[in-house]
Amino acid sequence: MRAQLPRRVLLSLVLRLLFLKPVVTGSCSGDDQELLKQLQRQTDFMQDTSRLLDPYMHAQGLDVPGLKEHCQEHPGVFPRENALHGLSRRGFLQTLNAKLGHVLHRLTILQQDLPKVQLTVKRYIYGIRNNIYCLAQLLPGSSETAEPTQAGTEDSPPPPPASDTFQRKLQGCQFLRGYHRFMHSVGQVFHKWRESPSRSRRHSPHRALRKGAYRMQPSMRGKRLMPRGQLPQ
Amino acid sequence: MLTLQTWTVQALFIFLSTESLGELLDPCGYINPESPVVQLGSNFTAVCVLKEKCMDYFHVNANYIFWKTNHATVPHEQYTVINRTASSVTFTDISLLNIQLTCNIRTFGQIDQNVYGIRIISGLPPEKPKNLSCIVKEGEKMTCQWDPGRETYLETNFTLKSEWATEKFDDCKTKRDNPTSCTVDYSPVYFVNIEVWVEAENALGKVASDHINFDPVDKVKPFPPHNLSVSNSEELSSILKLTWINSSIKSFMKLKYDIQYRTKDASTWSQIPPEDTASTRSSFTVQDLKPFTEYVFRIRCMKEDGKGFWSDWSAEESGITYEDRPSKAPSFWYKMEPSHTHGCRPVQLIWKTLPPFEANGKILDYEVTLKRWKSHLQNYTVNDTKLTVNLTNDHYIATLTARNLVGKSDASVLPIPAYDFQGNLAESKCYLITVTPVYDNGPGSPQSIKAYLKQAPPSKGPTVRTKKVGKNEAVLEWDQLPVDVQNGFIRNYTIFYKTNIGNETAVNVDSSHTEYTLSSLTSDTLYMVRMAAYTDEGGMDGPEFTFTTPKFAQGEIEAIVVPVCLAFLLTTLLGVLFCFNKRDLIKKHIWPNVPDPSKSHIAQWSPHTPPRHNFNSKDQMYSDGNFTDVSVVEIEANDKKPFPEDLKSLDLFKKEKISTEGHSSGIGGSSCMSSSRPSISSSDENESAQNTSSTVQYSTVVHSGYRHQVPSVQVFSRSESTQPLLDSEERPEELQLVDNVDGSDVILPRQQYFKQNCSQHETSPDVSQFERSKQVSSVNDEDFVRLKQQQISDHISQSYGSGQMKMFQEVSAADAFGPGTEGQVERFETVGMEAVIDEGMPKSYLPQTVRRGGYMPQ
Repeated sequence: MRAQLPRRVLLSLVLRLLFLKPVVTGSCSGDDQELLKQLQRQTDFMQDTSRLLDPYMHAQGLDVPGLKEHCQEHPGVFPRENALHGLSRRGFLQTLNAKLGHVLHRLTILQQDLPKVQLTVKRYIYGIRNNIYCLAQLLPGSSETAEPTQAGTEDSPPPPPASDTFQRKLQGCQFLRGYHRFMHSVGQVFHKWRESPSRSRRHSPHRALRKGAYRMQPSMRGKRLMPRGQLPQ
Repeated sequence: MLTLQTWTVQALFIFLSTESLGELLDPCGYINPESPVVQLGSNFTAVCVLKEKCMDYFHVNANYIFWKTNHATVPHEQYTVINRTASSVTFTDISLLNIQLTCNIRTFGQIDQNVYGIRIISGLPPEKPKNLSCIVKEGEKMTCQWDPGRETYLETNFTLKSEWATEKFDDCKTKRDNPTSCTVDYSPVYFVNIEVWVEAENALGKVASDHINFDPVDKVKPFPPHNLSVSNSEELSSILKLTWINSSIKSFMKLKYDIQYRTKDASTWSQIPPEDTASTRSSFTVQDLKPFTEYVFRIRCMKEDGKGFWSDWSAEESGITYEDRPSKAPSFWYKMEPSHTHGCRPVQLIWKTLPPFEANGKILDYEVTLKRWKSHLQNYTVNDTKLTVNLTNDHYIATLTARNLVGKSDASVLPIPAYDFQGNLAESKCYLITVTPVYDNGPGSPQSIKAYLKQAPPSKGPTVRTKKVGKNEAVLEWDQLPVDVQNGFIRNYTIFYKTNIGNETAVNVDSSHTEYTLSSLTSDTLYMVRMAAYTDEGGMDGPEFTFTTPKFAQGEIEAIVVPVCLAFLLTTLLGVLFCFNKRDLIKKHIWPNVPDPSKSHIAQWSPHTPPRHNFNSKDQMYSDGNFTDVSVVEIEANDKKPFPEDLKSLDLFKKEKISTEGHSSGIGGSSCMSSSRPSISSSDENESAQNTSSTVQYSTVVHSGYRHQVPSVQVFSRSESTQPLLDSEERPEELQLVDNVDGSDVILPRQQYFKQNCSQHETSPDVSQFERSKQVSSVNDEDFVRLKQQQISDHISQSYGSGQMKMFQEVSAADAFGPGTEGQVERFETVGMEAVIDEGMPKSYLPQTVRRGGYMPQ
């Protein structure tokens, strides 16, 4: 019974987040610095390979010389750090939110391989998305504008699942390595935001808003505006 | 089969029995409400309704109803018969928590029949839960607790609710035995704010606590550090190093620590200063501990910023500091054995073991040395605390040191006197007599005293000297007499001092002093002073010392000289200032202004006057050189007044100019001022320009522009001086010759001077125009124009009374456009154009006869 209850909660979270309709319940902190601090701690936590990759490699028998070298990040799955730095604040948050959605989906697939670890990591990913939502609320015009994921458009889709078991393991390893690297890059961006909360013209909320609104013109055709209170995606 | 039949029969029996009982137990009525929950202190009304069937059976109605609470009849005053079948009862201010209320009827024959009964439960609605707080014990799930408020006397459910901004978590319902805390089912997620509150609900209401919003990482109670170990250092006996292993929560947050320690036997803990352990670490060195002492340590940790909870204390761990050399020598003493042979005596040396805080380690052995005066040395190493040796009757010095693993203590010294020391005491020698008590458990503290067998006067008096000598006082100082010459206890000193002619004065000073101040001395006087020291047996004078008091006290001379100097300086300064202010007056009376011929000038020009003048100083030279002042009078060119009036006011005007505008120059000076008026030169006397023929006119009246207005024509300047003429002035022909040869581009030295003085005018556009004209025409043309202008001016000056400026201008223009050579015509055109442009501007006149190349003296 105790095991079923969190599973149900997690399923609800996954469905809500994946279908982009989170239910806004509690109140967010209005302190953007506190949120940034929390997000940076979360990314610090997530970039540690002992959270996911190492247990996965150990469980899959990939932590042996000769196989470790093949567990390299598959390019294009996660945006590079310089691409993340080039995004507006809103675009960055949307990209991060979308990528974490992909990670949640992938972790669900990997659940059999990492039953216990992935549960903890998933909860932390939900926590990151919660903070992303709260931080997005602090951006000016958060309830009216939505910007497409900038970096996401540049990424190539993940490789199709391999039929071969070993290849599938390797793909999972590569994905997790890319995920840890991606979280490190995200942490760098948040670090920069914390250093220059509003001095950075590039990441100025107002400028980001203007830039987002400018960019939105061609890309928003045929797209609906998000209802108030939803996560910007 | 048989069993089945038995079961069937039994079931049928039960069914029938129940049915019949239901008929029998069918109540005669009912009470509404059936299960009331009432708030304490409130009013409550219950209604009993009788059934018709029962009423008919018992022949009763609602009037026959009476109420009982807990078997006690309720007074009829609280009843209300609503109708034939219903009667109600009302209770005010219910105070009982549990009331059994029955509705009864009294049937025929005064038989009471119970109709129906209910149980009234009373209580209070829940209060708002307060002091909601949560804790996240490491490795466990979040637990929150709260203050439920007052007792409700009812079953109250508390529900802990929690949610993120985007998610709501399952409720946490309290257990019946612990309604004030609840542990959630989900693991905490750090770095995400969660909102938590409690809802309390019972039959009388529902209320929620205040919401609290926090990051679970700020509510963590971590595991205590484990594997605490203590190690000492051989290098330092005062430190112990603690090492431990932090809990895994370290990966989520930084930690700070609380370290406490005590000695093994102590009950109170000492604490390491918190600022020393305010960051994550896994070891710490405790300092300032006692050597060779066992300490017990414990440690706990919490989040570095103080948010959250301290962990439990770790398991206690102890360690012993390393040894140090004994900090104190053991006290010891001796015992004379009663029996001794001739020339030899047995002496037992005894000492105590050092306490642990002085031993600073385990005492391995003791080292005893015996020294007979300065010769023989005997060493003994003893593990025990006593030593018996045979000594001669001589005086001995015994020393004792304790040794541990690190080193030896300081030595404890014990003199052992000679066996027959009492016969050798000398007179007038100071002895230090020390008595040490000996108790059963060791020696007591010794007491000493100085003593003389017999005193004598000091063998030497103190030497006195001056420490400081003033005008009326002197500070004397001296040294204490050495013990060898005191010969007794010094009781007092006496100071004798006198002048050459005066009587000797004596002053007694206490023996504890080494300094004394003689006062009321006479200045500039020689004093002789000596000093005597006294014991109980007499005194002894020291050497005599002389000193002279100064005539003036320190600073006295300065106090006189400095003010005098200052006064002198002030007076001098005032005199200089006075002279400076009256310098003109002084100069006039003492050294009047005598002109320097070498610095004389032909003329000076107004800054706005065109510099192109060709003077012939010789023409202006006069034989009479009595004039010392030259005045320049400037007259407005467009002034409409007739000339005679101008001349009448000329004298006043001239004087006014001298004193105010400064348009007049001094000796040899000339006007080079900016003015819109033509200037008239005159002498001090009220004479016309023609009447100044007795003077040499070196001044030129300049017609210059007024306030940046550019004069159109040249005017003249006139000076009167007795100074000798320069060569060029004496030989104007040469000047003219040079001028003619070089043309207009050559500027003679004097002309250069003029140009320098009036260079400002060269930048004038009109001058440029003039210059251009000059370039076109020849120098002779220019001179010719000047000649014409001067002739016109001369003409006008000769008819002052009849001319006006307007007429003067007309005449000047007409003459200027008169017949002449072709070149001259061009020149005239240029000048005429200039005259036209400058119409309305002041014009000049030439009161002097002009020849080619310069002005001629009149």
